[in-house]
Amino acid sequence: MQRIEFKVGLFIAITSLLIMASIGYVAYKKGVFSKVHTYTLSSKSGDNLTEGMPVAVWGFTIGRVSALELNDQGIVLIRIKIPDRHNRMIRANSKFVIDKPLIGSPRIIVQTNNLNALPLSPEMVPELTESNDINEIIKRARPIVDKADRIMANIEHITASLSDPAGDVNRILRNAETLTARFSKKDSLLAMAVGDPESVKSIHEAINKLRDITVKVDGILKRVDGMAGKTDEEIYGQDGILPQLRNILRDLLGKLAKIDVTFDNINKVSYEAADSAKDLKGLRNALDETVKSIGNLADEIDRKIPFKARPEIKLP
Amino acid sequence: MISVMIAAIGNIGRAAMLGTSSLRGTLAFAVRVFLNFFDRRTYNSASLMVFIHQLYFTSVQILPLFLFVAVIFGFLINGMAFNAVKNMDYLGRLLMGFVVTELSPFITVLLIALRSSSAINTEIAVMKVNREMSTLNSFRIDLIHYLFIPRILNGVFSMVLLTSLFALVVLSTGLLVSSLVFGTSVDTYVDTLLRSTDVLDIVILLIKCATFGFFITLIPIRIGLSASEELTSIPISVLNGMVKVFVAIVTIEVLSSIIRFI
Repeated sequence: MQRIEFKVGLFIAITSLLIMASIGYVAYKKGVFSKVHTYTLSSKSGDNLTEGMPVAVWGFTIGRVSALELNDQGIVLIRIKIPDRHNRMIRANSKFVIDKPLIGSPRIIVQTNNLNALPLSPEMVPELTESNDINEIIKRARPIVDKADRIMANIEHITASLSDPAGDVNRILRNAETLTARFSKKDSLLAMAVGDPESVKSIHEAINKLRDITVKVDGILKRVDGMAGKTDEEIYGQDGILPQLRNILRDLLGKLAKIDVTFDNINKVSYEAADSAKDLKGLRNALDETVKSIGNLADEIDRKIPFKARPEIKLP
Repeated sequence: MISVMIAAIGNIGRAAMLGTSSLRGTLAFAVRVFLNFFDRRTYNSASLMVFIHQLYFTSVQILPLFLFVAVIFGFLINGMAFNAVKNMDYLGRLLMGFVVTELSPFITVLLIALRSSSAINTEIAVMKVNREMSTLNSFRIDLIHYLFIPRILNGVFSMVLLTSLFALVVLSTGLLVSSLVFGTSVDTYVDTLLRSTDVLDIVILLIKCATFGFFITLIPIRIGLSASEELTSIPISVLNGMVKVFVAIVTIEVLSSIIRFI
């Protein structure tokens, strides 16, 4: 009996402790035991406002709407409760905006630019403004709606064209029908394509002529091939032009080599001749000098010994 | 013509009275028992002894099996939830809004009903057949104080304690699954659960568990009392009792959901 009592007592104690600890932890984390600050906001309309609505900063819920009242002046008073640990977000310069997303429930957004500003006094009643998100979305959506309108008009045009017996689509369909009808008649593809039997006949005749021409051209080409073969033999054969030409050239090269040596010799001779010419020039200069000296000597002799028929003596 | 209409309306009323007589009888019995909760004479040493025994049979004996089932369910549900729901917010709502507040009490109540409700129904029916009730009455022992209230209180306590234990085990296995298998940090997991937890939901959960425990023990007692003095009436009584317990479970589940979502 005591054992049963102990087991039951242990079970109750442990389970109760676990439950109490869990609930206590959740309550602590939810801020049940922390100090709560109450602020009052005002709004001209109570639309979209509900008790329990979240109050958020930068996407995080920091409090809730605790009560809604309508005062004597017809102003809606909204009381919000903010736990002490989030109270730093509520400043005197904070703006309160009601956010109404297209999907999801509305909430109050707190916009605080300066967290170091003075705290909001509980006596102050800031106004709750309305976010124009929906209007902005409508403004942005308008061009899209216009575009959709145009697309719809185009679709309407296409469907009208589809339904019109004289329209492009029906014409294409009729052509396709004609083509398939021709296919079903088992005509040639050419006849199906051109649709005129005379034209097909002409094309066939032209093709036959073309075949004859091809045969003739083939014959000519064979003859040309034969001639080319002979020509090849004459040019490239053992006694052809090219081997003879090669021999001549080889002989010519040998001779040119010899001429090259001769030219070298001639060059040498010409150099030596140039040197000899220099010597001849010197000899000539010496001869010129000698002749000039002899001339001078002759003049001297002539002056000193007159050989004229009647020499004249000049008297003083 | 008018007399025919009056007779037709009378017939509808009679059928309704007959159809709901069982419900009315159960509710009247429930009120009677509930009022005795506040009677000081209920809480004596004999009642306490019965209560301890009942709690032992209902909660302590079942504990190993219950914890095993809770761990298996925890791994299964968390594995599936983490695999299917990638968004942590939705995961938190799924775990707190469905697993903790709906699935935990439902599995617990099924286990207790299958094991203890049937036992209580049989016990009371056997006592009735053996005329133990008459004997107790002849000794001026109050049946409600000595027999019924300890069993019903046991049902209430067992349901609240075991459901909470089940929920804690499932959430703890969720912590293991999230950190070991999916690499989610403990802080992220706890924060997700906290964000999805509503204190009102927990209050409704506890009230629902207490209501479950109250009715899944009260109905078998009442149906057991309705057994005749023949042995063949025992299985019939148990069968009726278990069907009514099942109807009660579904009714309470639906009502609690309606209250939660209003």
